Amino acid sequence: MQPQLIRDLQALLAPGAVLYSAEDLMLYEYDGSVDLGSPRCVVFPSSAHDVSGIVKLANRYETPIVGRGAGTGLSGGAIARSGGIVIVFSRMNRILEIDEANLRAVVQPGVVNLDLSRAVEHLGLFFAPDPSSQKACTIGGNVSENSGGPHTLAYGVTTNHVTGIELVLTDGEIVRIGGKNIETAGYDLDGFLVGSEGTLALVTEITVRLMRKPEAVKTLLAVYDTLDDTTESVVDITVRAITPAACEMLDGFTLRAVEDYVHAGFPKDCAAVLLIEVEGLKEAVEAQAAEITEVCREHRAREVRAARTDQERNLLWRGRKEAFGAMGRISPMYYVQDGVIPRTRLPETLRRIEEISKKYDLLIGNIFHAGDGNLHPLILFDERDAAQFARVVAAGGEIMRHCVDVGGALTGEHGIGMEKNELMPLIFTSDDLALMERVRSAFNPASLLNPGKVLPMGKACGEIRVPQSPAATAMAT
Amino acid sequence: MSQHTQALFTRLEEIVGGPYVVTEGAEISAREVCGMLPAVVVRPANAAQIAEIVQFAATEKLAVIPTGGCSKLGIGSPPSRFDIALDLSRLNQVLAYDPKDLTLGVEPGVRIEDLLRTLGEQRQFLPLGVPFADRATIGGIVAANSSSPLRHAYGAVRDFCLGMEFVTGEGAQAKSGGRVVKNVTGYDLHKLLIGSLGTLAVITRINFRTFPMPQAQKTFIASFSSAEAALDFCRSVAHSVLTPQLVEVADPSAGQLIFSGEAFARISPGLWSVIITAAGQPSVVDRYAHELGHMAAAASAAEFVPVEEDAHFALFERIQEFPRLALEAAPQAAIFRLSALPNAMPSLISKLTAIAKQSHADVATLARASGILYAVFVAESSESLESLAAAIPEVFRACSQPEMQASAMLEWCPKELKTAPEVVWGPVRPDFELMNRVKKSFDPQNVLAPGRFAGGI
Repeated sequence: MQPQLIRDLQALLAPGAVLYSAEDLMLYEYDGSVDLGSPRCVVFPSSAHDVSGIVKLANRYETPIVGRGAGTGLSGGAIARSGGIVIVFSRMNRILEIDEANLRAVVQPGVVNLDLSRAVEHLGLFFAPDPSSQKACTIGGNVSENSGGPHTLAYGVTTNHVTGIELVLTDGEIVRIGGKNIETAGYDLDGFLVGSEGTLALVTEITVRLMRKPEAVKTLLAVYDTLDDTTESVVDITVRAITPAACEMLDGFTLRAVEDYVHAGFPKDCAAVLLIEVEGLKEAVEAQAAEITEVCREHRAREVRAARTDQERNLLWRGRKEAFGAMGRISPMYYVQDGVIPRTRLPETLRRIEEISKKYDLLIGNIFHAGDGNLHPLILFDERDAAQFARVVAAGGEIMRHCVDVGGALTGEHGIGMEKNELMPLIFTSDDLALMERVRSAFNPASLLNPGKVLPMGKACGEIRVPQSPAATAMAT
Repeated sequence: MSQHTQALFTRLEEIVGGPYVVTEGAEISAREVCGMLPAVVVRPANAAQIAEIVQFAATEKLAVIPTGGCSKLGIGSPPSRFDIALDLSRLNQVLAYDPKDLTLGVEPGVRIEDLLRTLGEQRQFLPLGVPFADRATIGGIVAANSSSPLRHAYGAVRDFCLGMEFVTGEGAQAKSGGRVVKNVTGYDLHKLLIGSLGTLAVITRINFRTFPMPQAQKTFIASFSSAEAALDFCRSVAHSVLTPQLVEVADPSAGQLIFSGEAFARISPGLWSVIITAAGQPSVVDRYAHELGHMAAAASAAEFVPVEEDAHFALFERIQEFPRLALEAAPQAAIFRLSALPNAMPSLISKLTAIAKQSHADVATLARASGILYAVFVAESSESLESLAAAIPEVFRACSQPEMQASAMLEWCPKELKTAPEVVWGPVRPDFELMNRVKKSFDPQNVLAPGRFAGGI
């Protein structure tokens, strides 16, 4: 990279806000996915003005730019696959305003998801999107990926909670769209930009909705001896129009790893459990909990129990949210999938995943948002075993194809990124992709912003050519 | 008719078949958009025919406007051209409805009444309590992003639409989103089509999540002597643990339109009414009755009355039809759709009242808890449009005040007043350039509803 660019960035930004030594850059080569990419430098802006200046320099030096929050993403969204400048938003981490009367907060993109909920807890409020990584992930990242979480079943994903954003466009211009109001006359640019994975503009400020905490919460744990009984219960809960706030499934294999780590009291000898939460007025919670218990019992749950204390409830949720981490105790690496299926297809899909696990001789744990059909099969592997990794990627591809075949989608909340961009033609025609490409070019004409993400590489004419992601290449073949 | 025009009609007949091309009569006049009539109404059978028509229109430099029930063609600024009205009434099938999965895929020409009936048979619904429900089609409702009082509890189309298929201004068939309830695969292009008034693409399929009907519902009306008192009561409800299905605040004039018939004879005229519906298990609804009664008393409500069972749906219908009722009462009305924060609502309403007074007009307001406010301006002297012409820019000016932070769009007004896009959409905003880029990506040759959108898009 041109040393002049580094000097220009240093002149633009605060002291210590530019990293370029090999050992510093190593920390920014990866995110929560299995892909890697080395930036040429990493910068830490303090304001939208800084971001605008960086973008202008990137244009002058024709260098790619990739936005990054906490790097917890699971599809390579924050990886500099074409090198260039990684913009880390950790210094833009202030909650600018909490507007209790109107139930809004204005935050900088580097604010950690859980920190916002903590900051408004004393007001009886919370920020609804709750990805499992919420202790670390940033709201800017949530906006880029349109993140979900267990409670999106009741509250929706990030896009349902964003009313306004400030953007830095690829020419460095700073623009505001939306605001605090629920709608603004004109095209719904907020709705379109949330979830665009940092490929259309850089987000420098976000206005979000805050929710009032429910009066009562009840967390149920239903324990099963067969996977089929578990999945049939989920189907039946949906069919009977019961709407829990969350409905998570953990299979026995995953549970055992989690229990050894978290000691939440999960039974280690079962086939699977459902972790179901109901929220609302206490009358509604009691009525729904009773209905859910009845459904689970009808499907031969051997036990349905309610968390008796907040501590018990938190422990159950800790088990769920730290399940990915617990996997680290039994495998050096895992590859997490994010397919979505119609909820009624859960039983056959879980059976299919079991078959795939046997076919490729791989351990696959299942822990996922059952209530909205969003699967997270975790394929365990050792990255030192190249042959095994090839099987992992093939198995992942087969699970993905199954999701598409039953009318589902490639990703429910983790994003396409550089992991699944070559799989986009499984869902979209060349006309669909050509239009997406045209809209991207309208915002990001030189493909400087997060190149090689979301759309298949072949589609982007002017795009900087970079090597394929190993996962994407293997899965697409 | 010129030879060229005849050739155009012949070509359209080749695409859709002779009986589906209409060049005169009531079909044409029903599709008037701000005083402009199309040369031809074409009724395609499917997306492929729509694609062919749009390609043909692009080649011939003709302007196309998609139409459904023709109830909302008056919304938007006047088109710069209008040649072909696409009548989507033949695309009227429910393509996929999986009640067990609570998902639905429909063609745009399905009437909302028919759709809600189909869903109702499974005790499900879409939270679209929208005006002109006897004629409105789902495609039109989405394209106009019609306001529903149920948004407060269930969100708007942007929140429960899962994906769409559509034909772009170049006649390409495309889609985005999907059919599952959670999905981040690719760009959410369909979000841009919601409320786009047909300026980006012709919608050919819409996928939704559906909602289970609540076991029980009950509506209550609390009446107050002032706007402040009524809005204070709303704020106390919003700050409680209650999450009603809808909360609407009608000023005395709006109340007159909404409360008609014997069932509402008890409602005193001249008061501000807060209409609240509770939904859920019977025990939940009972609790609302109890708590709302207490809160209304604490807020010094003049009255607090439960609505009788048989009047509940009639009242809901009148609330959802508010803009239509206002237009029927005063065809020359100017109806703003505003979006404001709860805290700004009282000062916005008083400002609107002041603007009306200055301009020799009357104003009626209906505020929704979701943050949407309808304001109906009617000139004191119904022959004169001058007072409305004076009031309209003042409303936009008031909204742009920093303490107000409101957004406004003039949904309905006499067409003679629509002399520029700003009359309808207000002053051009800084993000207009981005909207223009979106338009050019979808419709580079400006074939679809040119001029009907903000900034003259």
